[in-house]
Formats: sequence, C-alpha cells, structure tokens
Amino acid sequence: MANITKKVSWSSRADESGATAEGTPLLNGSEQPRPSRQLSRDGIFQVGRLSTVDLEEEMTSEEESLRGRPKEIPHNEKLLSLKFESLDYDNIENQLFLEEERRMSYMGFRCLEISRWVVCGLIGFLTGLIACFIDIAVEELAGIKYRVVKENIEKFTEVGGLSISLILWAVLNSAIVMMGAILVAFFEPIAAGSGIPQIKCYLNGVKIPRVVRLKTLVVKVCGVICSVVGGLAVGKEGPMIHSGAVVAAGVSQGRSTSLKRDFKIFEYFRRDTEKRDFVSAGAAAGVSAAFGAPVGGVLFSLEEGASFWNQMLTWRIFFASMISTFTLNFFLSIYDNKPGDLSNPGLINFGRFESDSVAYNLYEIPLFIAMGAFGGLLGALFNKLNYWLTIFRIRYVHRPCLQVMEAMLVAAVTAAVSFTMIYFSNDCQPLGAENKEKYPLQLFCADGEYNSMATIFFNTPEISVRSLFHTQAGTYNPLTLGLFTITYFFLACWTYGLAVSAGVFIPALLIGAAWGRLFGILLASITPNGSIWADPGKYALIGAAAQLGGVVRMTLSLTVIMVEATGNVTYGLPIMLVLMTAKIVGDYFVEGLYDIHIKLQSVPFLHWDAPATSHWLTAREVMSAPVTCLNRIEKVGTIVDILSNTSTNHNGFPVVMQGADSDEPSKLCGLILRSQLIVLLKHKVFSIHVSQDERECMMDLTEFMNATPYTVPLETSLPRVFKLFRALGLRHLVVADDVNRVVGLVTRKDLARYHLGRHGLEELQLAQT
Amino acid sequence: MSIHKNCYFLLILVLNIYALVSGDGVNVTASDSVDTLTQSSPYSPAAAVVLVNSPVFRKPDVDSIFSLNLLSSFPEDEEISVYCSDLLHIFGQRYVTYVNCSVNSARPVKVCQNCYSSYGSLTEIYLKISSDEVVTGNESCRDSILRNDRLMLVYLLYNNLEDIWGKSDCAYCVTKGFHSLTNDTLYFLSSVNQTLTCFEKYKEGNHTELCKSCKNPYRGLNELYSRMETNKTMCIDIEDVMNVTRKLWSKEYNCSFPREETVPVIAVSSFMLFLPIIFYLSSFLHSEQKKRKLIHPKRARSYNTLMNIQDKLS
Repeated sequence: MANITKKVSWSSRADESGATAEGTPLLNGSEQPRPSRQLSRDGIFQVGRLSTVDLEEEMTSEEESLRGRPKEIPHNEKLLSLKFESLDYDNIENQLFLEEERRMSYMGFRCLEISRWVVCGLIGFLTGLIACFIDIAVEELAGIKYRVVKENIEKFTEVGGLSISLILWAVLNSAIVMMGAILVAFFEPIAAGSGIPQIKCYLNGVKIPRVVRLKTLVVKVCGVICSVVGGLAVGKEGPMIHSGAVVAAGVSQGRSTSLKRDFKIFEYFRRDTEKRDFVSAGAAAGVSAAFGAPVGGVLFSLEEGASFWNQMLTWRIFFASMISTFTLNFFLSIYDNKPGDLSNPGLINFGRFESDSVAYNLYEIPLFIAMGAFGGLLGALFNKLNYWLTIFRIRYVHRPCLQVMEAMLVAAVTAAVSFTMIYFSNDCQPLGAENKEKYPLQLFCADGEYNSMATIFFNTPEISVRSLFHTQAGTYNPLTLGLFTITYFFLACWTYGLAVSAGVFIPALLIGAAWGRLFGILLASITPNGSIWADPGKYALIGAAAQLGGVVRMTLSLTVIMVEATGNVTYGLPIMLVLMTAKIVGDYFVEGLYDIHIKLQSVPFLHWDAPATSHWLTAREVMSAPVTCLNRIEKVGTIVDILSNTSTNHNGFPVVMQGADSDEPSKLCGLILRSQLIVLLKHKVFSIHVSQDERECMMDLTEFMNATPYTVPLETSLPRVFKLFRALGLRHLVVADDVNRVVGLVTRKDLARYHLGRHGLEELQLAQT
Repeated sequence: MSIHKNCYFLLILVLNIYALVSGDGVNVTASDSVDTLTQSSPYSPAAAVVLVNSPVFRKPDVDSIFSLNLLSSFPEDEEISVYCSDLLHIFGQRYVTYVNCSVNSARPVKVCQNCYSSYGSLTEIYLKISSDEVVTGNESCRDSILRNDRLMLVYLLYNNLEDIWGKSDCAYCVTKGFHSLTNDTLYFLSSVNQTLTCFEKYKEGNHTELCKSCKNPYRGLNELYSRMETNKTMCIDIEDVMNVTRKLWSKEYNCSFPREETVPVIAVSSFMLFLPIIFYLSSFLHSEQKKRKLIHPKRARSYNTLMNIQDKLS
C-alpha cells in the first residue's frame, strides 16, 4: 500500500506530511502541527454528494439538479472556510497523559513554572529586538531614500525638470514596495496586512495555517520594512503584534517547522493550551514594543483572547510586555548614542504632552464627544470602502503577480499624489530651531522657509504624526491639513488589504491627527477669544484617537495604549469618551476593520456570546450528523479507510463500545483525534506501510482516547452549547441521547455559522476556499 | 566689628578690584577701570559709615521714612561687608552697561557682536560674587548677597541675562574668555557684506539682472551658512543677518525659483493615476472571478437551516 501518511494527512506538500508525524509523542494529538488540509476538489465534490445522498429524505428538484455540480458562488463575507480548524485548548486526558503526569515529581512542576517565566522573558526580549531591528532598518533606509529624492528635487528645482524627480520618487517607491510584495505574495500570503485579525483568530481558538511560522516572521519583518520605506500609507506597529506572536510560538515550542529543527527543549509546552498562552504573551509583547504600552499590551491580549485567563498568566504576560518595551528602549538608546537613556519605550512615540499647557477643561468635553462621533463616521466610511475594495480584491486580484502589480501601482500613485500636493502647496513656514524637520523641502518657498505640505508627506508617517501633535500653532495652515486629510484618507483606505505587510494604526492616527488639528485651528479662529483653544496639538490627539477608534473599534486596550503612548493620564477620560462615541457611532453603520477582514477570510470566529434570539435553536439543529464513530477495539483497515477517505475530513472521532448483546446500541466511551490515530498507525502498531494482513489486525484505542469527552443532550439550546464550547475552548462536543448513544457532533463551524444580521438570524454557508 | 576692621577690608577690596580690572586687559578698557575706582571710592566709606548705624545702607535719604522702624534693629553680623557691597555696586554698573548695549543692538540683532565684552565683564564680577571665598567673619559674599533672602534678586537678575545669552547662542561666535569674535563669524560677516554690496549695486532697475549677477556671492553665502548650521557654530547675529539677506533675495527681489513646470508634473501624475484604473478595469474584465464551492454539511435534518428558522419564527 502506498505511503499512508501522505494519504491520510492530505497534505498538499509531501515534505510537510513527512515532518508532521515524526517524533510526535502520543500524549496530545494537539501537539502536532498539522498541515492545512487542502482537500482535492474531487473530494469536496463527494462530500456534498454523499451527505446529500445519505441524508436527504425529501429533495426538491432544484437541489437534485444541483447535485451534479457543486454550487459555486462569488466570494462574500457570509461564508465559512473549510481550511480553518480549532485548536485543542482542552487537554486530552487519556490514560497515557494521566500516567505521565503521575510520574512527574513536585520538582518537575516547579521547573515547569520557572521555565514558563524564562520563556516569557525570552519572548519579551526577542520581540523587543525585532522591534528595534525594524525601527533602525526603517529609519536608515527611509533616510537614504528621502535624501536621494531630496537632493534630486533640489537639483531639478533649480534647473527645471521636476517631473523627473516625480518619476524617480515613484520608481523608488514602487521598486521597494515590489520587493515586499513579492515576498508576501509568493512566499507567505498569510503575512499580508497587519496580522492583527489573524492573531485575533488564533487567540479565539482558530488554527490559521502557517500563521505562527518562522518563515512568516521573516517575511513579515522584511515586508513591513519594505512597505514603510516604500512610502505607502502604512505603519509598522500592527505587524509587531503578529511578530511577537510568532516569536512566542517559536520560543515556547523549542522547535521550528520552517527550519525543520527541533531543539528538544520545552517539550512539555508542545500543546495548544500552553502554546496559546504564550502566543497571547507574544501579542502583548508586540503591542508593548509597538506603542511603549506594556499595560495596553496585556489588556489587548485580555480583550482579544480573554476566554481563557487567569491571574498568573496575566502576571507573566505583563512581565513579557515589560521586558519587551525595556529591551526596545535599551537598544534604541544605544543606537541613539545615549546608552542608558531610556526615553524611547515604543516604535511610535507620541512625545510628551506637557500637562500644564494642554490640560483640558470641562467645557471641552462635549467638543471631544462630537469629535468622537465624527471619527466614528469617518471610520465607518473607511471600513465600508475598504470592505468593497477587499471583496473586489478577493474576487479579481487573486493571482500573486497581479497582487504585486497592484502594490507597486499603489506605491507609485502615493508618490505621485504626494508630489503633486507638495508641488502645488503654497504653505511655506520658516525653518527654525523649534521645528526640526528631518528632510525639509524648499521647492518654491523663499529661502529659509520650507514647504509645510512636505513635512507631512515627505516623511515616514510616525514622524508626521508626532509633528502634528507637537508643533506649535501656525505650523500648518488649514488648507494644507484639509487636503492632506482627504488624500491620506483615500490612500490609506486603498492601501490596507494590499499584499504587503503593513498596519493601519499609524495611517488612522495620521488622518485623525490632521483633521483634529484642523478642527483645533478652526475653533481658535471662529471664537472671538481664540487663545483658550490655543493648542491644536491637543485636538490632534483627540482626533487621532477618534479616527483610530472609528476604524478598529477597540475599546479598553486602545484607551490604555493611547494614554500610555502619550504618557499623560490626564487624557484618560477624554480619550475614553472619544473612543466610546466613535465605537457607538461606527458600529451603527459597519463593523470594525479587523472584524470585516476576519469575516472576509471566512474564519469560523466565535464571538463572546451566541447570537441573540437563538435560544430556540437546539443541539439537534446545530450538530452535524451522522457521526463517523470508531469502535473501542477497531480493525486497522477500518481506521485506515476512514482516515484516507477524502470525504470525511473529520478530526475527532467518538469511540463507542458495542454492548455485549449485538442488538444493544453502542455507547459513547471516548473521543480520539485524527492526529493521535495517525501517530498510532505510524509508531505504535504499524509501520507506515499497512499491508493487507495488517489491515485485519485489531487496535485497542482505550489507552489513547480521551475517556471523558464533554457531551450535551440533544435538547440543549444553542447559547448553552456555545457557552460551553467557548469557555472551555473545546474542539469537539459530542451530542448524546438519553442512553448515551452518539447522535451528533458539534464543532466550531457548526456554531460559528449563526450570526445576527440585519434581517434577524442568518446562517453562513460552508465553502471551500 | 569695628571701623578699623572695615577699613582694613576696604583696602583689600580696592586692591582686589584693581587687580581684577587690570587683569582683564582686552575687555575692560583702562578708562573703564579708572571709572570703577573713582565711582566706588566715595561710596565705600559712606557705606562703611552707614553700616554702623543703619541696615538700609544705600539710600538712607530716600528710604528714611520707611527705614525708621528698622533702625538699629540688626546687630552688625547681619550687615554685608564693604567689600561685598562694592562688588554689588560694580555688578550693578556692568549690568546696566550690558543691558543698555543689548537693547541698542536688538534690531537688527547684533547682541553678540556688540556686547560680548560687557557680558564678559559682567560674568567676571558675578563669578567673584558667587565665589565662596570667605572675606568677612565667617560669611562669604555669596552667602550675604546671593542667598540671604527669598527673592535672591542678584541671582535672578544674572540668571535672566544668562538665559538670554544662552538663547542667543552667542557663545558659538565668541572666543573663549570673551576676547573677540571667532574667525568663522568674521568671515561670515564679511561675505554677508559682499553680498549686500552686490545687492546694493544692482538694486536699481530690473531685478533679473540682480538675480543673475548676485547669484554667486549669494549662493556662496548660503553654502557657508548651511555649513555653519551643521557645525553648530552659529549665533543669533548670523541667523538674523542671513534671514534678512534671504528675505531680500526671495521676497524683495523675487529671485526664488518660479513654478513653471506645472504641465509636465500634472501630465506625469495623471498618467500615474490613470494606471490603476486600467489595472482594475483589466483585472475586472479579464481575470477569472474567484468562485467558492459551497459544501453541504451533514445535518440530522437536512436543509433545516434558513427554512426552518423562518418556520419557527412565523
């Protein structure tokens, strides 16, 4: 017989399947990095047909005609993809596991606890280092680019031929972005975007294929450097969260699938429970390094992955966050030639707002709330536009080379638009010691002055944000800010979702800061006594918070992140109010950007609660049935057949016990996972090749199955099932009848398909993507 | 304390001042030092006399009404010594000199060029005051003048000037010890003069002539300036004179670069804006739309989904 692993694991790549089963202990099936199961098209075909044949009692003629060919629809957000699976957060308590645990000494557990702390420290340290690397690389490379372009512009301002500078700028941008886009589109598509939706899904318990691989990390880091240096309207903060998560997954597992190396350390942590805990620590460390916000990082993990949480874990995560921001701070201080001067806690540094000059007054709070509402509106518009664009991209721009071309075009247009804006801007400001511009462009301004439009366009976005927050009143005139807001809004909206790794935090902050500052300036000019509104930087901060809140709709963690990044607790209340208003207003129109992208990826994402008005749905309607069950003592041939049958892509099989009497119904006695079966077949009982004789052998699953799976009765309501599933992090929930017979199986996809839409409860469809 | 002792200190003081003044050769001229001496001598005995009687030592006549209640209230220890009050007096004079000088050279800014020497002598006297050398009894002038009250007036006054000096960055243009302007500064000033002379020459008539002829000196000046900017060898005088020159060049004579390539820039950028439209159109028309194959899950009640939901709802 042919290589069974290949067959049973249905890997698209032979090497992956080889690596899969090797050296995996039997304790936890979850420990296996299972390759994404990409079913062959024919297989899916059969699923549809088989299930219909088996189950349909009355079939309409329309469906009859559909049976021949599977129904195909254009991609939309109301689908669930087959390629996503659950993580096994719940430990598989089989006999082997119990035995192993019994063997472990008290010291062993102490050591485990200590090594958890060590791993968290390492995660923080490495995340900080990566952040530092990205920061320095971006600064150096962007410096080179801007210097080259600046020199060129200066030369051609004098002798004429500025369109050549424009072309140079556009070509440079496109070339740099092309590198990043090629990396992402051809080598690791999962590294596209900010990575926050993916990490959100991972913390939610969805196994996204390849999301925490080393290769993804490398592509992500290089990609984000390319896209920021390439002048796209993006930031490098979001990807840090993904990077932190990958670091965490890699360090805690002590091995790398991308490198095919196993360092034989931390083997105890090779289970989804531990891995996910560490990944949440990594995400927190990423946030912390990105914004210099350790508490914000912890709260981010809490907000996104909070269903499994305890105090010790929180404390460890906080430790990782602190180490991460400290590491970044320390190495940046060395880079700045001021070793020991710890004043750069994050990638983006909002700078310090001196509290006396920009304190707020009670009468300003209504204004802040109004700004929050406006930010919510703009954010909703941003999300809606991006939603349409993303749908178009998924449907039509799906070939890698097209994606690369698109990214290059965006980069070129960004350069062209920026150049045109700068070219036609008449806003000249005097150069001075206070406003130190890194790359001041003079163009047609008088000598000793610089083009103020160029300070926001001809800079990395982080520096522009800081400039909008802190430069004194009068640095930007209203027209400049207005034009900038509009162009940058569309550019950022267009850019997010390209096949480059890049975040949306900074562009959103930048847009918000621009219109917030504009608002501050207008306020000062329409009121007779303008001096009380004197500081436009304050309104820039509030605007930035409003816009960001309107786009991503994060609440608690975003408030804390903003407060920490500004280093000023005084602004806690206004920022909170603004984010609340932005969320309320924005949610009225459309969901948050990350949620939209999660939906468009067809991920079976479980929200906090079951959708409202779903109490009348019971497990009977929700579950999948009939269930493929195994006997406790099963013939090898049967197992092999079940596993290699492409029509049953199940991952868990209830194990049943036939009563002594053959008429007696078979009762549930355990649950076994596909991965465990594969390992059993490979290691324990048979070699990879299962001969005809061996097929007849019997296999006793008693030792390996999880003898106490969770079950629910048929009449359990959907919210109850949902709560159990979500709170315990289950992967399979067996539905049993009154005599403990298996009647169905509830998995993540069965639950995730219900959602509350505009017209009441809707159901998502399963699709192969 | 006795008059005898006070006189003894007066002697030391005079010697001191003499040594001090003669020691700083270049900055303070000879007449200046004579001035100081003659001015300080009539005061000193008077101060010494007043010291014995009244704590309000400077202007007994003006403040007599108010000072009555304070008369003879302090023991001698609380008074400041003659030496210190003389120092204070000199400080006051130099202070006035420097402030006068600064105000006079405020516009156009020439504070560094004109006033560095008076600032130098002011610093010198202040250093003397603030040195912790003990002259009278167990108190130094620093203690009796600078830190004896809440206001600390002398300290405040000097601090203000020090701030102004710091802000003006004059230290970059003046050599150590306030002897002269640095060579860089002198060179820069001479090239400014050169440029301004050129402006002067072509000022009449068409400015295009000026723009063409003075381009070289002006550009040399600009380059020099940016070099100095990067070297951090610039003070407010240089910045200001450069600002004025630049304003003349760009605003007065309109020699900035004109914006004359509008058409090619617009053409190139609209071409670039056009590209994505073509791209999206062509991918919409030619690329095969990605379809998703729906899969019918196994359910106990087949197709119970939306139909059932609607049944139950109704």
